Amino acid sequence: MITVEKLKKVYDDTTVLKSIDFTVKKGEVVCLVGPSGSGKTTLLRCLNLLEVPEEGTVTIGKKTVDFGGKKLSKKDTNELRAYSGMVFQGFHLFPHKTVIENIIEAPLVVQGRDKKELVAEGEELLQKVGMLEHKDKYPDALSGGQQQRAAIARALMMKPEVMLFDEPTSALDPQTVGEVLRVIEDLAKEGQTMVIVTHEMNFARRVSNQVLFMDGGYIVEKGEPEDVLVSPKEKRTREFLQLIKE
Amino acid sequence: MIDWFRQIQWEHLFDPELAWNSLPLLLQGLQITLLIALSSMAFSLVLGLFLAVGRMSKRWYFYLPARMYISFMRGTPLLVFLFILYYGIPVLGIQFNSAIVAAIVGISMNFAAYSAEVIRSAIMSVPRGQWESAASLQMTYWQTLRRIVIPQATRIALPPTTNIFLDIVKGTSLASVITVHELLYSARLVAGQTFDSMTMYITAALIYWGVCIVIGYFQERLEVRYNRYLTKR
Repeated sequence: MITVEKLKKVYDDTTVLKSIDFTVKKGEVVCLVGPSGSGKTTLLRCLNLLEVPEEGTVTIGKKTVDFGGKKLSKKDTNELRAYSGMVFQGFHLFPHKTVIENIIEAPLVVQGRDKKELVAEGEELLQKVGMLEHKDKYPDALSGGQQQRAAIARALMMKPEVMLFDEPTSALDPQTVGEVLRVIEDLAKEGQTMVIVTHEMNFARRVSNQVLFMDGGYIVEKGEPEDVLVSPKEKRTREFLQLIKE
Repeated sequence: MIDWFRQIQWEHLFDPELAWNSLPLLLQGLQITLLIALSSMAFSLVLGLFLAVGRMSKRWYFYLPARMYISFMRGTPLLVFLFILYYGIPVLGIQFNSAIVAAIVGISMNFAAYSAEVIRSAIMSVPRGQWESAASLQMTYWQTLRRIVIPQATRIALPPTTNIFLDIVKGTSLASVITVHELLYSARLVAGQTFDSMTMYITAALIYWGVCIVIGYFQERLEVRYNRYLTKR
């Protein structure tokens, strides 16, 4: 479903991603873990082109984009983006629209679909993430956990092949973290392909098929969650896990 | 001091009868004032939006002309610009068929520069995350601008835009200098005939004030509407 080869991202004169290779199979859940500044979020943002890498290739679904050489075209950007949905740390719901308006906005405007149909579909999705009773509220009136669940529904409305989560629970109060993680776990059970940047190690162990440990712009270690998070081979992985245990 | 106070002829300070009798003429002038003001508000806002978008563009052939335009219009007096339009431009063979049109063009073009800066700062104050989440949902630049950013920017731009509108209403009085028969022109006409400047200009001032109070009322109404999505805290 996703293939990333020799991906490199440079900001000014710091190389944030040095040479990234990995693959994600259909239906697989991959967690990206590692210390802050290791490049996890940048890597995720490169997958839907909120950041444009300098070198390497990204393939999602049937679309491959090669970043070496010429400038990225709008057509390539849109075609690659169509395969993925993004959930942000800060939710980024549209504050001037209600929950239901938020989630039908993109299919309505981008795909030009019928509004009635979308509302019905949206309500079904809101039911699934436990947000149906809040459908006519504005984001400002919702808790962080509720906003994030609405944001997940909004991304799902575009029926992406892959869901990308950028630290989806890092901005939440502790008591609402669980409700968001449960929604993501439900998606995993349904076979939704997902890439998740997270600091929740227990969650990563429970939900993922593959864990990528990143440090200093490299993937230092990858494999089954039990291998990487319980008995890691690499020294840097062990040090990191030791640090977050304390 | 006391002598000076005593010698004031209070009945000459404000003559209600004259004010009342000249009201029909002043209200005729007000119509022209409102015509110029309302069209200039609309035109300056639309032109201002395009200037703001141009000013924010990464391409030099958009942002450079926009910056030049804004700099010139903000850096020159409106009255001088009106003179250029009305007395200067005819040299080029272009003539406005009425002074009113020249006034509308001049005021719109001038205030568009201020509008542009208000709109630009309002657009930039919408968080980057809004652009990013819209992009991740495959919305285009213009779709995002129109559906996501401008509605939020409008709320932010409302108070400073009202200030511009008030300045436009008051700025229309400059059109009297290029022979437009608007409110101030009418007042000056009567003042010239009756030698009662005080009454006429106070009356004119009160009418301007009245118009501005109405605009202030609309601002309050719109603020309530645009704040409805924020929880009262």
